[in-house]
Amino acid sequence: MTGPLIEAPSRTLDLVGRHPGMVVAGHVSRRAGRSGALWGLIFGFFIVVQTHAYTSTYKTQASRDQLAHAYASNIAVNALIGSERGINTVAGWVDWRFAGILGLLGCIWGLLTSTRLMRGEEEAGRYDLLLAGQTTRRRAAGQAVAGLGAGLLALFVLTALGTIVTGRSASVAFSTSQCLLLSVTLVSGAAMFLAIGALASQVANTRRRAASMSGVIFGIAYALRMVADTNPGLHWLVWLSPLGWIEESQPLTGPNLVAFFLMLVLVMAVTAVTLRLAGTRDLGAATLHEPGSSKPHLALLGSPAGLAARLMRPVAIGWLCAVAAFAVLIGTTAEPATKDATGSQGIEQAIGRLGGHGSAVADYLGLTFLMLALLVALVAAGQITAIRAEEADGYLENLLVRPLHRTYWFAGRLGLSTLLVAVAGIVGGLGAWAGAASQHSGTRFGSLVTAGLNVAPPGLFVLGLGALVIGAWSRRTSAVVYGYLAWSFLVELAGGVVPTNHWLLDTSVFFHMVPSPAAPPDWSSAAVMTGVGVLGAVLGGLLLWRRDLKNA
Amino acid sequence: MATPAIRIEGLYKRYGKAEALHDLHLEISQGEVVGYLGPNGAGKTTTIRLLLGLARPSAGRAEIFGLDCQRRTVEAHRRLAYVPGEANLWPSLTGAETLHLLGRSQGRVDVAYRDELIERFDLDPSKKVRAYSKGNRQKILLVAALMTRPDLLMLDEPTSGLDPLMEQAFRHSVVEARQAGQTVFLSSHILSEVEALCDRVGILRQGRLVEMGALAEMRHLSALTVEATFEGMPPDLAGVSGVVRTVVDGHHVHLEVQGPMEPLVNALAGTGVRELLSREPSLEELFLAHYGPDGAAPVSSGAPMAGGDRR
Repeated sequence: MTGPLIEAPSRTLDLVGRHPGMVVAGHVSRRAGRSGALWGLIFGFFIVVQTHAYTSTYKTQASRDQLAHAYASNIAVNALIGSERGINTVAGWVDWRFAGILGLLGCIWGLLTSTRLMRGEEEAGRYDLLLAGQTTRRRAAGQAVAGLGAGLLALFVLTALGTIVTGRSASVAFSTSQCLLLSVTLVSGAAMFLAIGALASQVANTRRRAASMSGVIFGIAYALRMVADTNPGLHWLVWLSPLGWIEESQPLTGPNLVAFFLMLVLVMAVTAVTLRLAGTRDLGAATLHEPGSSKPHLALLGSPAGLAARLMRPVAIGWLCAVAAFAVLIGTTAEPATKDATGSQGIEQAIGRLGGHGSAVADYLGLTFLMLALLVALVAAGQITAIRAEEADGYLENLLVRPLHRTYWFAGRLGLSTLLVAVAGIVGGLGAWAGAASQHSGTRFGSLVTAGLNVAPPGLFVLGLGALVIGAWSRRTSAVVYGYLAWSFLVELAGGVVPTNHWLLDTSVFFHMVPSPAAPPDWSSAAVMTGVGVLGAVLGGLLLWRRDLKNA
Repeated sequence: MATPAIRIEGLYKRYGKAEALHDLHLEISQGEVVGYLGPNGAGKTTTIRLLLGLARPSAGRAEIFGLDCQRRTVEAHRRLAYVPGEANLWPSLTGAETLHLLGRSQGRVDVAYRDELIERFDLDPSKKVRAYSKGNRQKILLVAALMTRPDLLMLDEPTSGLDPLMEQAFRHSVVEARQAGQTVFLSSHILSEVEALCDRVGILRQGRLVEMGALAEMRHLSALTVEATFEGMPPDLAGVSGVVRTVVDGHHVHLEVQGPMEPLVNALAGTGVRELLSREPSLEELFLAHYGPDGAAPVSSGAPMAGGDRR
């Protein structure tokens, strides 16, 4: 007679979760939800502020007709944001403006979020642990997609809140169902590129590669939509691009169900393929085979500074391209936009508050360079989080156990970041000049390059602030730096629309930037911002030298 | 007298209310191979991070070749190489690129020896770090440290992830380092590795160095293990002078004896002993004597450990 070799435990185990098989969904939804909520707030705020600006700036039908006439003939604007259809009404303007801008932003948010939370987490090895639990690869991918859905829901809810608040205004008067349909349109780009990013995360073996792959798809979709909107004979191409579907959906002026249907089919089909691929590949591997070896390329690997330059090269090139593209966009739109704004009390008030007193085009560029300043400050914030990540991921330790003083390393790293911020500013100025010159706006080369340099000091201030936080409170670096940037930008935007307390405005780094080229740069103010940044960097370096090295 | 490779005086390290190191004193001579033992959280890695200047002491000082670890960190680092237990390397670089970078950062490389090490550790340097297994990433760090021929090798659980063949290659490399006059400070959980390689061993418990000395000295101070098998039922030996622990299993008795053997030998006379074996404690037994076999409260080597266990 044989008995059991191991006796069953006499005690029962405590149940610590009702759905242990859903841990991946919980993990992804928490992180995607936070990000979606933040961007939902920005979307909602943008909708409220911009719609208010439209209705208060273009109060009469005549001024709205003039605006529509100007944009109707502007090929550049049609190419960049999408072709306008009846922007002489609030509904038409909202359809065009927000689908064109927030639709694009949603796409970028979607691809970055899904590649970060799917391939990024897998690359970091965190999925190994989660997949060892009560789930399979396919189920885990399904849960991750559901988690991304939670992020999309957060984005939708807060965007819808913004549209409903806007819609209740007497000068706007949208019904709740219209607001909800508009919100669906505005987050549809996010939904499609969340799905595309999730698929790319199965196909590519690194987060960077997955994001690049999704970015290429985004670029092709954008190019197709641009060609379709600039050449009437090729307008059918709009139906080949997900961005074209967003444009064609027209939620307020004439909802196009075909466009909505195509977006839904894309999301469902791509998600199905994602789940199928997730179940057929190894964890950590990708569907596309990539050689795991190569000949050594020793360029820039002679020193820690060279290594930093090599590692930041792809990101820096990406940012510089983004800054250049955005600058060309604002340069191109300056001339037609100011045709309508000339004599507008609202625009003049905004420029006046910021101290501008140049030509109409220069005034417009002065305002829009605020967005360029935000972009350059984001470059700085990205550098700061990358510096912190080197410490948190344990890579820095490999260098600091060799004959290298940590303050020298820190100074070298910040020096490279400063160079990148300055170059980003100059590239921004050059791009804006190129765009403006293509429209024969007459804006001088020197003034726009100077204006580009003028957006660098806020970025340098952010670098200094980030360096200080790395020294003093390293584990909160990302939250503090991005939080401060979001605060600064929102305070500055709010200050441009409604009267705001001066002390509050002073907390925004962008408030201290003169809107060049609308006004000549205030170099003393720029020097103060740069000086405070340098002081922060020095203090941060000292604190870093005095403290323990900390991994994540 | 030559400057010690490592000198630690009254070193304390606190993380908030938790004390990671308490009044640590340690001196390691040049050319020594010293093992550093202790369970997880005993303070081994903290000691190494303080020596490397990666962490700041709460009190006390540490020197490497007479150079203050906090004030003259860079000069100290010129003379040492470090291998951590966890290999965090840049995933986009290949093994060759990583070795090139780390060699250039150190400022010196014995290229012929590096190539020999690559062969010895059976490493393919053309692979990208992200394609390496944990063991292969660890090999990169071992080669990077050894190829610079440092005066001091600081190894923090360096063989985690290595297979037994590579473990042998590692031991061979440490023996070579010792022969070349290099100092080795080896923190490890693999007691056989420490026993095979180290001249002296330090045992750390809750941030305190509870034992430090040559293995032979520690064995001498610790209990001797005696195994006796009797013709009939064994006599009660728990009360014999020097016997600190007895475990009876049928006709077999396991004894641990502290001090002279004479009282036990006298007690065994005429008791029908069929077989008698005695041996010195292994490092594992010494280690467990300090911590208890199940990680429970430690037992001092000088005090009786237990008495008269019967089963």
